Amino acid sequence: MAEGRLAQDFSPASHRRPAFRRPVVGPAIMFTSLMFLTRECGRDIRRNSLLSVATLGAVSVCLIVSGAVGWGAIRLHEIASRQPGRFEEIDVFMKPDAPRESVVALKARILALPAVNRVKLVTREEAWRSLQRDEPTLSDALPDNPLPDALQVFPRRPADTAVLTERLRDVSAFPQIAHVTDASRMVETMMAGERIVKVIGGVIAAGLFAATVFIVFNTIRLTVFARRREIRIMQLVGATSGFIRFPLVLEGLFHGVAGGAVAALVLIAAARIGSQWAAALRSPLLGDVPTQVGPLHILCSLTVAGALIGLSGSYLSMRRYLRRV
Amino acid sequence: MIDLQDVGVNYPGHAQALSGVTLHVDKGEFLSIVGPTGAGKTTLLRLLYRGETSTTGTVTVAGQNLNLIRPHDIPFFRRKLGIVFQDFGLLPNQTAYENVAYALRVIGATGATIRRQVPAALDMVGMAHRPDAYPAQLSGGEQQRVAIARAIVHDPVLLLADEPTGNLDPDTSIGIMELLLHINVRGTTVISATHDAVVVDRTRRRVVALDKGEIVRDEEEGLYKEALPADPEPAAP
Repeated sequence: MAEGRLAQDFSPASHRRPAFRRPVVGPAIMFTSLMFLTRECGRDIRRNSLLSVATLGAVSVCLIVSGAVGWGAIRLHEIASRQPGRFEEIDVFMKPDAPRESVVALKARILALPAVNRVKLVTREEAWRSLQRDEPTLSDALPDNPLPDALQVFPRRPADTAVLTERLRDVSAFPQIAHVTDASRMVETMMAGERIVKVIGGVIAAGLFAATVFIVFNTIRLTVFARRREIRIMQLVGATSGFIRFPLVLEGLFHGVAGGAVAALVLIAAARIGSQWAAALRSPLLGDVPTQVGPLHILCSLTVAGALIGLSGSYLSMRRYLRRV
Repeated sequence: MIDLQDVGVNYPGHAQALSGVTLHVDKGEFLSIVGPTGAGKTTLLRLLYRGETSTTGTVTVAGQNLNLIRPHDIPFFRRKLGIVFQDFGLLPNQTAYENVAYALRVIGATGATIRRQVPAALDMVGMAHRPDAYPAQLSGGEQQRVAIARAIVHDPVLLLADEPTGNLDPDTSIGIMELLLHINVRGTTVISATHDAVVVDRTRRRVVALDKGEIVRDEEEGLYKEALPADPEPAAP
C-alpha cells in the first residue's frame, strides 16, 4: 500500500492536480434547474404530507412559545419603563371620617417636611367625579361616595420616596392617615417579573429552538432516506451536491417559514385579545402603554426565526448524509 | 479511454478486493468483465466511475486521473459516463420518459434539449412506444431498456453496465446485450461486468476475467470460460 501511494504521489503524470473544465451555467439553465428543483421540493412535501404537517406543527408550537416569551418580555419592559415617573408619587388616603380641616392641616405639615417638594389635595368629591367619569358603571352601582380625601405627595428626589412612604405610614405620627401607596413596589415587582420572564423564557425558548432544529433534522433525514434511490441516481448521473441538497434545504426552509407564519398569526391574534383584556382592566399600570412591536414585526421575526430553524435542521441533516453517500 | 496501472483496492479487515490490476481499454472497445461472485468485478466498475478510490496504483478514465480528482469535480466527470445496474435503478413514481429526462434535468439541460434527446434515446432502445408507462407497468427487459436510455441520453463516451442482464431471462438478456453492442457500434466505449455466460459467448468481444481480485485472463474475442485446448488428433492406427 505504501509503495502504491509513493508511486501515485511522485509519478511524473500525477505530480499535480489537473484543472477540470466545468461547463458554463447560463441564467436560462439556472432558471430551468431552479424550477425543476422547486417542483421536486413540492412533490416531496405532498408525498410526505403527514410528516410535513407534523414538522410544521412542531415548528409552530416552538415559535408560538418562544414568540410569546419574547413578546411578553418586551411588553413588560415597555410597561415597566413607563413607570419611573410614578416612583415620585405617593398617594396618601385619609380615614373616611377625617375632617377636611385636619386634611388641610396635614397637607401643610407634610409639605413642611424637608424631603417633600409638593403636595396636592384630591378631595373625596373630586375623586368621585373622576370615578363617575372613568367608571360610570361602578359609580352608578354605589349608593353614595365611599372615597376618602387623599393627598398626592411628590418628593424632592426619587430616592427619598421609599423613606418618605415609610414615615407617612407611621400611625403614631399621622393617625388620620388610613393608607399610603406608592407605585415603586409594583414597578419593582413588574421589573423582577420581567427579569424572570427573560431568563426562564430565554432558557425555554433556547431549548425549544434546539428541539425543533432536531425535529426538522430528523424529518429531512427521513425524507433523505425515502429518497435514497433518487439521490444515488442523481449522484451517478452527475448531479452536484448543491443540486441534490437544494430541494431538501428548500423543504426545511418551507417548514420553517410556514411554521413561523402560523405561529405569527396565532401570536398576533393572542396579542390583540390580550391587549383588549388589559385595556378592559383599566389598570393604572397597564393602561394604554403603546408598543413598538407591531403585527408586521411579529410576522417578520417569527418567519425569519422559522427559516433559520428549517435551514439549520435541513442543512445539518444533508451534510451528515451526503458525506456518507 | 481507460488506463489502470497496478491498481489495488483494500478494505480494512477484509480480503483485498483488487490486486495489481493493470488494464488498458481503447476508445470504442466493448469489454466484458467476467468472474465468479466476489472476484472484484463491481469494485473495478466502481473505480471507473469514482464510486471507489484505489488504495494503490492509478486509475485514469477519459483523460482524468481519478486518484487526483477533487470531490466537487466528480459530478462533472460522471457526466461523461452512463451507468446501468442490475436493479435498473428507475424511479418508481416517474414514467419512462420522466426517468430518462431526469438524467438531463439534474445536469441542468434546457427543456428543448430534453424534448429533443429523450424521445431519441427511447427510440434507440426500442421504448419509444411506451414513454408514459411507469416502471411497474414494464417487464424487466423493458425496464432495463429504459435504464439504458437514461444512461445514454446525454451521449456519454463510456457506458458502464454492472450485471445488466442479471435479473433477465436468457432471450431478454441477449436482446439487452445486442442493444449494448449497437450503442458500442455508434462509438461509445462499453464495459459490462457480468457472469452471464450465454451473452458473453454470443458477443465474442474482448473478455477480461477476474478471480480473487486479480486479472487471470484477457482475451480478444473471448469466451466466458477459457476455451479448452482442442483435442489432439487421434493417433493414426
